[in-house]
Amino acid sequence: MQPFTYLLLPAFWSSRNRARQSDRSDVVRASLFGGVGVLVFAALLWGSFWITTQLDAYEELGDFLLRIGLSWLFLTFLSFLAFSGVVSALSTFFLSEDLRLLLAAPIAVRRLFYARFVKTVVQSSWMVVVFLLPVLLGIGVARCAPCLFYVMALLTVAPFCVIPVALGTGTTLLLVNVFPARRARDILMLMGLVFAGSIVLLLRFIQPERLLRVESLPDITGFFATLQSPVTPMLPSFWAGETLFASLTGGTDLLHAGALWTTACAFTVMLSAASERWYFAGFSKSQEARKARFTRLQVLDRLVRWLPMAPVRRHLLVKDLKVFLRDVTQWSQLLLLVALVLVYLYNFRVLDLDRIPYMAGIIKNFYAFLNLGLAGFVMATVAARFVFPGVSSEGAAFWIIRSAPISFKDFLWSKFWTGLVPVLVLSLSLTVVANEFLGVDPFLKIVTAAGITFMSLALVGLATGLGARYPRFSADNATQVAGSPGGVAFMIAAVSYILVMVILLGWPSSVYLWRVARMHVRPFQTNEIVFIVMCFASAVALSISVFAYGMRTGVTALEDMA
Amino acid sequence: MIAIHDLRKQFGAFTAVDGIHLEVQPGEIHGFLGPNGAGKTTSIRMIAGLLKPTSGRIIVNGHDLATNPTGAKASLGFIPDRPYIYEKLTAGEFLRFHAGLYGMNGDSVGHRVSEMLDLFELSRWEHELVESFSHGMKQRLVMCSAFLHRPQAVLVDEPMVGLDPRGAKLIKSVFRRMSEHGVAILMSTHTLEVAQEMCDRISIILKGVIIARGTVDELRELAGGEDAELTPVFLKLTGGTALQELDEIV
Repeated sequence: MQPFTYLLLPAFWSSRNRARQSDRSDVVRASLFGGVGVLVFAALLWGSFWITTQLDAYEELGDFLLRIGLSWLFLTFLSFLAFSGVVSALSTFFLSEDLRLLLAAPIAVRRLFYARFVKTVVQSSWMVVVFLLPVLLGIGVARCAPCLFYVMALLTVAPFCVIPVALGTGTTLLLVNVFPARRARDILMLMGLVFAGSIVLLLRFIQPERLLRVESLPDITGFFATLQSPVTPMLPSFWAGETLFASLTGGTDLLHAGALWTTACAFTVMLSAASERWYFAGFSKSQEARKARFTRLQVLDRLVRWLPMAPVRRHLLVKDLKVFLRDVTQWSQLLLLVALVLVYLYNFRVLDLDRIPYMAGIIKNFYAFLNLGLAGFVMATVAARFVFPGVSSEGAAFWIIRSAPISFKDFLWSKFWTGLVPVLVLSLSLTVVANEFLGVDPFLKIVTAAGITFMSLALVGLATGLGARYPRFSADNATQVAGSPGGVAFMIAAVSYILVMVILLGWPSSVYLWRVARMHVRPFQTNEIVFIVMCFASAVALSISVFAYGMRTGVTALEDMA
Repeated sequence: MIAIHDLRKQFGAFTAVDGIHLEVQPGEIHGFLGPNGAGKTTSIRMIAGLLKPTSGRIIVNGHDLATNPTGAKASLGFIPDRPYIYEKLTAGEFLRFHAGLYGMNGDSVGHRVSEMLDLFELSRWEHELVESFSHGMKQRLVMCSAFLHRPQAVLVDEPMVGLDPRGAKLIKSVFRRMSEHGVAILMSTHTLEVAQEMCDRISIILKGVIIARGTVDELRELAGGEDAELTPVFLKLTGGTALQELDEIV
């Protein structure tokens, strides 16, 4: 019988064949990403080297901080690896295409488990390993560590990665036996995003900027107690930190190293036994289709019926909304977006501009345009992620639209409206609420609100049109479409447009405010009024042109395709 | 041989396969017919070991699939309706990998791989990546892999989909030759002409239950008709009389 590693051969052979096949563009891409990788590696290496040498200056306190720092580092990765393990295991054990081939073959479940577990561990932890490599190297070099440290680093990181991934895989095995795999993936995706969103909100609302205020610094004992509180000796992160710290100082901590290895082996063996018992039942369940339980509601159809739209556009809109709402991977990203928007607005809420009384007025108005630009960038990103892939999202089913007796104009307009409403609500709320928090001049409130409305119109039109001009019907997901050359071209065009708009709105507004503030010295001059009107008119004309160009190019591209 | 006893599969409240019994003897080509959604693919996937039955037994060459899955699968070849093949492997690499999965090793593997590629007229493509293959070529490659380890029983789900007439003729003659060598073949198909031409016996499944079984002549008799073709017999047995209402609808 072949060892379980035999089952990993297709992955190796495929990579080898892919490398042999690579052309010039692949080499360029690899060099580009490789170059960025080397830069990040160097930055991490230098960063950890610098911090370690700085800590060295504090002798025992430095040692203490380094020891806690290592435990913290591993603790951070522990939760990441566990979650990553859950998600990777879903794919490698239950959803991967080649499983049907392998399960029809006479392979013992245990062999399949080991092969898939190795794959899961590698997929879940390669990023952590790549990150740890320069960090640990930097620490080792800074502390002139013996060779043993580097050997122990390898022997520590390996079991450290296995433990949380095994826990994650076990969780997946349990979940899949309770829910069908595809539903479990949705639940996990949702949980992950809620978790990420909560972390973002939590980190922001504890107001880390208070640490920079001398008067609010805690006393030193409290500070260290806070640092040490999550570092418990029962966690593998603590064992890894202790093992590495011991080898850094030339010693060996066999107790914690042993704890790491025995736990990793025990988890693997237990998981293997659990797989033999429950894997096939879970895989069999993963073949079951999902049901549209929550989105079968007729409310959507009834609501849309009231919209003043042509029936064709209405049907297209309902179809797009249903497809979007039934794909958890799509709408769940909105949760993260909501969290980021809340943080964004909160930042404006806590801005303490009154600490600089002489400049407060000017800075507030400056921030109003900074906000306009930032809201524009947020809008451009949202449009690239959700609106640009609109046409591509039809995928292989696009033949239905092409062969139906509807005009491409109707089709594209339905995509436009589907995108415009949420983007406009989002960007308008960002601008209006942030300006309200800042307390900017009423004139600017009106200018920025009108500006963001035109920008929404233009950017959604451009995203819809360029999305139709550069579609990727074969893409696996919307993120791939957004990252395609067409998506990048849209982002470049969008950012350029936003910058021009901020100038066209900001410059005349500053002239207006400056003049109003000095009205008692000299009234408005005709050339100033002409300048202000010209700028605003140019902004409107530019927005309409961008919108019209986007939609026209999209319709033309679709017609040419037919 | 393949033997199925009281096989059932439920998806929630829906019963896809409802207690079917089936036996395919060595050397027999057994057709598995039924309308869409009747339970053919679910049954085939349970026999292939891809789906866990709710209840019932599946025996392949004396091995119970539930208690000795590796033994059962080792003597079974499986040709799925939508085959998955590693796109970045060459045809030769894929077959050699497949041989390893079935415990074949040594010098004989290379010889057997060439033999199968010759048989299915894919020799020229041995060193080409699978991603460059047409659907029909992929289908033939999967058939190569299914017969590679000399199985005693073969499961086929829709064998003729995507094959050109020459490919279809080739497959028919390969199946016939294999059955002459004692291989039991259970073949699910929609193509009634294929079933009529190739199958020794046919089972017709409807709503998860086998409603008729026998040779083409026996089925014809069961349907109480004089039709020479299998299609009207199939329609009568599966309630396809709705066709008569077409005129009213159109």
